[in-house]
This record gives sequence, C-alpha cells and structure tokens, in this order.
Amino acid sequence: MQTLQLESVNKSFGNLDAVKDLSLAVAPGTIYGFLGPNGAGKTTTIRMIMEIILPDRGQILIKGTPNTTRAILDRVGYLPEERGVYRKMKVREALEFFAELKGMKKSAHKTKIDVWAERFGMTEVLNKKMEELSKGNQQKIQILTAVLHEPDLIILDEPFMGLDPVNAELIKDVILEQKQRGAAIVFSTHLMESAEKLCDAICLINKGLKVLDGEVKQVKRNFGRNSVIVAYNGKSDFLKNNGVIERYNDSGNHVEIQLRPGANPQTLLAAAMQHAEISRFEIVEPSLHEIFLATVKS
Amino acid sequence: MNKMWTVVRREYLSRLKTKGFVIGTILTPVLLIAMTVVPRLLLFLKSDKPIQIAVIDQTGAILDSLIVNLNDRNEAGERLYHFIKREGTASDLEAAKKTLSGEVDSGALDGYIIIPASIYEDGNAEYYAKSVTNFKVNSGMRNAISRAVKEHRIQQSGLNSEQVRRLVQRVDLRTFRIAEGGKEEEDKGRTELVVWVLVMFIYMALLVYGQLVMRSVIEEKSSRVIESVISSVRPFDLMAGKIVGIGALGLTQYTIWAAAIGLVSLYGIQVVDIFAPKMAMANAPKFALPAIPFETLLYFIAFFVFGYFLFATMFAAVGAMVNSDQEAQQLVFPVIMLVIVPLMFTFYIIGNPNSQLAVILSLVPFFSPIVMFARIVVQTPPFWQIALCFVLMLATIVGMIWVVGRIYRVGVLMYGKRPTLPELLKWIRYA
Repeated sequence: MQTLQLESVNKSFGNLDAVKDLSLAVAPGTIYGFLGPNGAGKTTTIRMIMEIILPDRGQILIKGTPNTTRAILDRVGYLPEERGVYRKMKVREALEFFAELKGMKKSAHKTKIDVWAERFGMTEVLNKKMEELSKGNQQKIQILTAVLHEPDLIILDEPFMGLDPVNAELIKDVILEQKQRGAAIVFSTHLMESAEKLCDAICLINKGLKVLDGEVKQVKRNFGRNSVIVAYNGKSDFLKNNGVIERYNDSGNHVEIQLRPGANPQTLLAAAMQHAEISRFEIVEPSLHEIFLATVKS
Repeated sequence: MNKMWTVVRREYLSRLKTKGFVIGTILTPVLLIAMTVVPRLLLFLKSDKPIQIAVIDQTGAILDSLIVNLNDRNEAGERLYHFIKREGTASDLEAAKKTLSGEVDSGALDGYIIIPASIYEDGNAEYYAKSVTNFKVNSGMRNAISRAVKEHRIQQSGLNSEQVRRLVQRVDLRTFRIAEGGKEEEDKGRTELVVWVLVMFIYMALLVYGQLVMRSVIEEKSSRVIESVISSVRPFDLMAGKIVGIGALGLTQYTIWAAAIGLVSLYGIQVVDIFAPKMAMANAPKFALPAIPFETLLYFIAFFVFGYFLFATMFAAVGAMVNSDQEAQQLVFPVIMLVIVPLMFTFYIIGNPNSQLAVILSLVPFFSPIVMFARIVVQTPPFWQIALCFVLMLATIVGMIWVVGRIYRVGVLMYGKRPTLPELLKWIRYA
C-alpha cells in the first residue's frame, strides 16, 4: 500500500488554478522530492495533504485512509514553510505540546526528547524560551517536532533553507535514517543538488500542473543521454552558432550542454578544441537542475 | 476531544506561569489589603495628640459652649482639645496676642483663638497656630463656634436652650431593604455597592479574558505557528481549547481574589490589631464586607461563565480576522461596546429594576450578563425572565460558536487584507 496517494486533486483560489488534476503516489521507505519553481503549487498541495485547506475536487489517501479522517494525520510529521514557533514557550514545553497533539503519552515523549536533543547538541537549550534560539536552531527544533512521534509520512517544506552546511548534513542524516525506519519522506525544495542526491523519486510541478514524475533514474533516462559537460580554459565562442547545441548552462570554465536530438558530440568537441583548452569532456545523464530548467522553460 | 484538552492545558499553564499573571493575581489582593488596612494603621500612627489651645473670649459665653460641644476624643480615649481661658480686652488685645504667640512659638501652646465681642453680629473669630492645615481641627472648631453663636442668636430670640437643641437636631435617615419573604434588613447603601462591585467584576472578566483570547489567536497567527498547530488539531478544537483554557485561567484568578477578599474581611481587622494592639480597644468602626447571599454568588458564576463564552467567541472571531494587535483595535470596538452599553445602564437598572426597559435590556443576550445580573441583585425578577434569559444566552452561544468556528477556520490561515462583510459571509458558507 502506498503511504501517500493523491488522486486527481484540484484547488483553485478565485480565478487562479493553484493545483490542477494532480495525482501522485509515494511508497513507504522512499524519499520523494516535490520540485517546482516558486508559485508552482507545492505549498498548496502540501497544505491539502495536511488538511489545512480542502481540495475542491479529488481525494488524498494516507496509508489508504482519506485524510479527512483526522486521526490518520497523527501518523504524519510536518515542517511547514512558515516557520512559526510559540516564542514565549520553553523549548521542551513546545516539543511536549506538539508531541501530545500527535497523541504521544508523556511517558513516551520524555526520554525521546532528551535523546534527540542530545543528538542535535541542544540539551542546554531545552529550558530556554523559543525566542532566545537562533533561526537555525528553531528550525532544527521544528524538524525534531516532525519526526519525534515516529510518523509513517514526513512532509518537509524546504527543510534545508537557511541551514549552515553542518546542520544541513545533520538534517540529511536524519532524513536518511527515517527512510531506513520505513517512513516515506516528501520534501519540497528548489535546491536541485540536495534533491538529486537524496531523492528516490521526484515530482516536478509547474503552474499547478504535474510536468513529470517517477524514479529519479527513470526520469533521467527518459530525458536522454545527450548531455555533455565540458571543462575548458579560454574563449567560449564554440558555444555559439555551431548547430548542435540545444541549450547550455555556462559557469565560466565549466559548462553543461544539452545537445540537439541526433547531434554528434564529436562535432562539438572538434569545435571546442579550436577555441579553448579542454580539460574535461564527458557525455553524462542530465542533472535534475538541467531537467528542471529545460522542463520549466519549455 | 483529547487534543482540545492538550490545547486547554497549554493555554492555561503557559499563562499561569507568566510573571504578569502571577504579579497581577498577587498584587490585586495585596492592594486590596493595603487599601483596607493601611488607612487604619496610618490613623493610629498619626493618632491625634491632645492640643492645648488658649481662648480669649470677649463674649464670656462661647468658651463654655466650646468645652461642652468640642469633646472629641482620640483613639486612646483622651480629650483632644484642652481650652485655657485667657483674658484680653479690646484695649490690651495686641499685647495679649504677642504673649500668646510667644507661647505658641516656644511650644507651650498649640494655638489660640480670639473670639471678639462682635462675633454675634459679624460672625468673625480668629485662630492662630503654627500648623493651620489640620482639616479636622479647623473644621471641628469652626463648627463648634458656629453652633455656639447660632444657639446664642436663637436664645436671644426668646427660646430656651432645650428648645434650641431640638430645633437644630439633625435627621438620620436609616434605610431598610425588604428581602425575599418580606424580611426587613437594614441596608446602609450596601446593596448598591454590591451591585456595582459584582457588575464591575463581570465587566472586567468579559473584557480582560475575552481580549486575552483574541490576543492568543492573533499571536498564533502573526507568529505563523498556526500552520503547525492546525496540521495536528482541528481548528474548532483549537478555538474551543483556547476559550476553555483562558476561561479556566479567569476562574482561577477570580477564585484567588475572592478567597483573598474573604480573608481580608474575616481577618483584616485582626491583622491591624497585631500591629496596633491599642486599637483593639478603640471603638473605631469595623471594616466588613456586606454579606453576599449564596444565590447571588451562584448567579455571579453562571453569568461569568455564560457571558465569558459569549464574548470570548466574538473576540476569537475578531482575532481570526486580523493580522496584528493594532488592526484588532478598530475591529474590536463594536464588541467592546456590547459590554460598555449595559454598564452605562446600570445606574438606571439599580433605580428601576423592573421597568419595561430594564426587562427588555436584560433579555438581550449580550447585555444579560450585566443587566440581568444587576436586576437579580437589586430585586429578584420573576423566575420566567431569568430562565428565558439563560435560554436566550445559551442559544446565542451555540449560534456564535457555529458562525465563529467557521470564520476561525478560514480566518486563521488568511493573511493580508482584512475581509469585507461579503467575504466574511463567504467564509461562513465555505467552511
């Protein structure tokens, strides 16, 4: 049984169709990337999953149960995009409050909070007020809130936003651990690199419409093996007017190129060698970043 | 339901532990105790010492009257005024005054009075002292001299002193309240005091705790924590938990205050006596709270609870409609008016508890907590009116919860522009 299933979900606000006919499925023990540009409808979809707003049409099932059965939402952990906290509450009290809202007994959450705080290096802040914490630490506490009750589905809206590399690594480990435990993790991001490394499957939506989805490997394969990475030193004139390039993304001495269908990479290599010193030339699978840009632009 | 209680616990405990609540709860009875105990203590500390006053009485009659009439005693039971007769005719008055001033300066005397022979005609006398600002001394002497002059004038017109005493006798009007069962009890303006005190307590409860609910809603909204909360608990349970939690907080605070008031009225005097044992003997009037009938207390709790639910739901709706405390100030005004209007009628209600206007006002659910309660305290209205009033309030509360629950559900997630009335109606239909 799928942990999360959306069936033809629609939502509009006035004249704006925020989400159109969206269907997707997330299996247990997978990390699912929910990708899309700003305003694509990611947060609206997540809010509908959490039954914060109601879809106009369609159905949302969590472990086979409609999410309108509120009890099933106790099996979900959620980090909202709006990172609000009870500013005057002590950290431990806030954690306990949310744990109890998720149906945990005091005997169950007490030791768990201590163990997690220890791991997050936050034991001393448990008795501080939320407002005394840095933004990053507040975010860690909120991620803790989302996993503390060992939910079957964890939804993280932009979990890495605003975290330093050390903490981002910590959160990545937590996500992988939850996956090992068998939870399904859905996280939205527009950081393609973290999505590419972490996700087993993705769904890309744009303007409320799903544009592609599936396992990351499959998505890349479908997109075709006609990407080339060139590391060069010198002029980049070879990128222009040579008839084989569909698109490229130049970083100055490193360029990712999307070839036209049927084009021969050797033609490109020959052209490049005339203009610059080539230190790397590799035919690769496209990165999610490339796929994202290509799909959204088209 | 369980989740609602989790919310109740958070709202209740997190506020119970704030410094503001602890200080406010303790400080109010402390102030109350201070207000009753301190003046009495001060009275004792300042306990008037007998004062020595020389009198030059050119009429030869007023001094005797002064000694008889101005016989005030201090708490220790001593005579306050000691009058010493001095001579001084018109011719050597200046010299006599000089001598007396010297004695006042040296401390042998506290002051002196000159009563000229012309006082019966022009009504002028003079009082000299180092300190002339003691109101009690000044007015006491003025009244005593006036009385002596008045009595003399009336006597001159041919009446004897017994007749004069009867003529100037003051009237004392004692008031009695006829309680249920036709029992008469003496009322010293206390019923009115009780009405005002209790009505003010209800008024404060509605405003203070109602606005606490509103601010709690706004706080969750403006800090954006609402989204985390709403994903775990139904908006309706959240709203209900908030209202119940803060209501419980209000009841706690009022119970503590009621206990403090009770203790003060029972033991306040003893506390004073510990500090000032001498006062125990004095016959100063005892401070005592008017006894509040048990039924009145029950009605107070009932109107507190009903009124609170009525107004807390409205305040919650206002909180859900706005983004900040400042924005709430404008929108909350009509709700506050619903509490102020009946308060303004209280004077009238106390005077005319059974007039048609009073009956109508007391049956308007939003006014009932104050108007009907005031009526009950002054003069218990017919039972059917009380029953009808509670039925109407209950119906209104149920209706309000239904409407406000919907406004709340949509409102707490809406940011930006405040909704217009048509939008608000859409929210109610939509949810």
